[in-house]
Amino acid sequence: MEVSVSAAVNVSILAMSVIFTVLIVLIFTIKTLVKLMPYQTPPATPARNNAGSTSGQDDQVAAITATLAAHMGKRPDEFRIVNIQTH
Amino acid sequence: MEFSFSSSASKIANSTAFSSLESGDVIMLGVACVLVYLAIWKKFEPLLLLPMGFGCLLANIPMSMMASTDTGGLLNFFYQGIKHEVLPPLIFMGVGALTDFGPLLANPSTFLLGAAAQVGVYTTLIGAVFLGFNMQEASAIGIIGGADGPTSIFLASKLAPHLLAPIAVAAYSYMSLVPLIQPPIMKFFTTEQERKIKMEQLKPISQTVKIVFPVAVTIVCCLMLPGVTPLLGMLMLGNMFRESGVTARLHETAETHLINIVTILLALAVGSSMTAQSFLQWETIKIIILGLLAFTFATAGGVIFGKIMCKFTGGKVNPLIGSAGVSAVPMAARVSQKVGSEADPTNFLLMHAMGPNVAGVIGSAVAAGVFLSLFGDVSGVDTHAALAPVIGNPEPGIQALATVVDAIKQ
Repeated sequence: MEVSVSAAVNVSILAMSVIFTVLIVLIFTIKTLVKLMPYQTPPATPARNNAGSTSGQDDQVAAITATLAAHMGKRPDEFRIVNIQTH
Repeated sequence: MEFSFSSSASKIANSTAFSSLESGDVIMLGVACVLVYLAIWKKFEPLLLLPMGFGCLLANIPMSMMASTDTGGLLNFFYQGIKHEVLPPLIFMGVGALTDFGPLLANPSTFLLGAAAQVGVYTTLIGAVFLGFNMQEASAIGIIGGADGPTSIFLASKLAPHLLAPIAVAAYSYMSLVPLIQPPIMKFFTTEQERKIKMEQLKPISQTVKIVFPVAVTIVCCLMLPGVTPLLGMLMLGNMFRESGVTARLHETAETHLINIVTILLALAVGSSMTAQSFLQWETIKIIILGLLAFTFATAGGVIFGKIMCKFTGGKVNPLIGSAGVSAVPMAARVSQKVGSEADPTNFLLMHAMGPNVAGVIGSAVAAGVFLSLFGDVSGVDTHAALAPVIGNPEPGIQALATVVDAIKQ
């Protein structure tokens, strides 16, 4: 019995070492991948201008920005509206 | 033909299953009803416990030919899917299609929490050996601590097929009890201040990394531990369906219809193995106790390693996310979120906990791979032929199928 328990302890130590080794290899693999292929913000789609004037769209963006900032409790410069879809 | 009412009545009475009903069957019918009750009224993993309980009910009706050992019976055919390692990997494919590895990729160091939580597997292994199980059996029991049903079934079917039923029941029962088992342990090992730690928002990950990740995991893990390839390979294939963006139909099928169908087959097959002969043993009680031990130590291991990471990062990691390393996706992550929000309602740990949670899935598969490397047959010979002493000769249905195939070939 004692021999078996000590064998189980040995197996456990060995197996935990293998698991940590495999997962640490994966950590470095992921870090390399993330470094090689960094996230790029998708290009902003220009908002459609139904009114036909840039100043009208700017007003809309300003109004929406102010409303969202008030709603989220953030400063207006902490986020950016990139797309307005009109139906 | 001479007809006698009394002899005919006696013949009919003798042909009913009542005539063969034994006390063990009655107890197992009770166990089946308890499982069905827990699934429906207590909502304990109903998707699994309900078909499993009903499979148990069917298997314990004498003369029904519905036990997993009844050659030629319906559920015996389903059971071949477990014996031949078909159903658990298919479940894993569905799990892969459902899983977003983004939180793990955004914070890869949480892989360590998924590894640390595997300590539950090994403490249970030691406990099982202490209670008299041999190494193969102890390994199959220990993997319950991985909190991963398909992995438990996969490993049990390879290393200790005779213990499959109690191991599956213990694994799924305790997985459903994660919201009850984990919080007291998490609170015991953490201070109020630690539970209030807010973590930085995760950085976005490029789609290319998400696509390359399954390939990288498959190459790294399966080369190191080839025994786990059926499980991990299918997990990563399912994830490729999800992330590639070009296999929408396969992704949709894998994450919905396929996983649902396979869940029914798997749970019924496990239920059909719960016969009085295999389940009403002292070993079952030992396994139920060891299963609880496994979950307790796994949770404690994750949280303690979370505390270590918290110290090393200068308080940037909330130790509560460590408990999610036990896999049990996504329930364990939800528990981390719940306990964290109890300390501070403005603390949102869910996405941070998803990292160690999905790392736990990979970690438990790797743990299973280590066991297979140590105690399984990975020599490259015909595995199914090697399993012949355990699973017996090909079933009549398979022989018939082989005959038909031969006839077509000729």
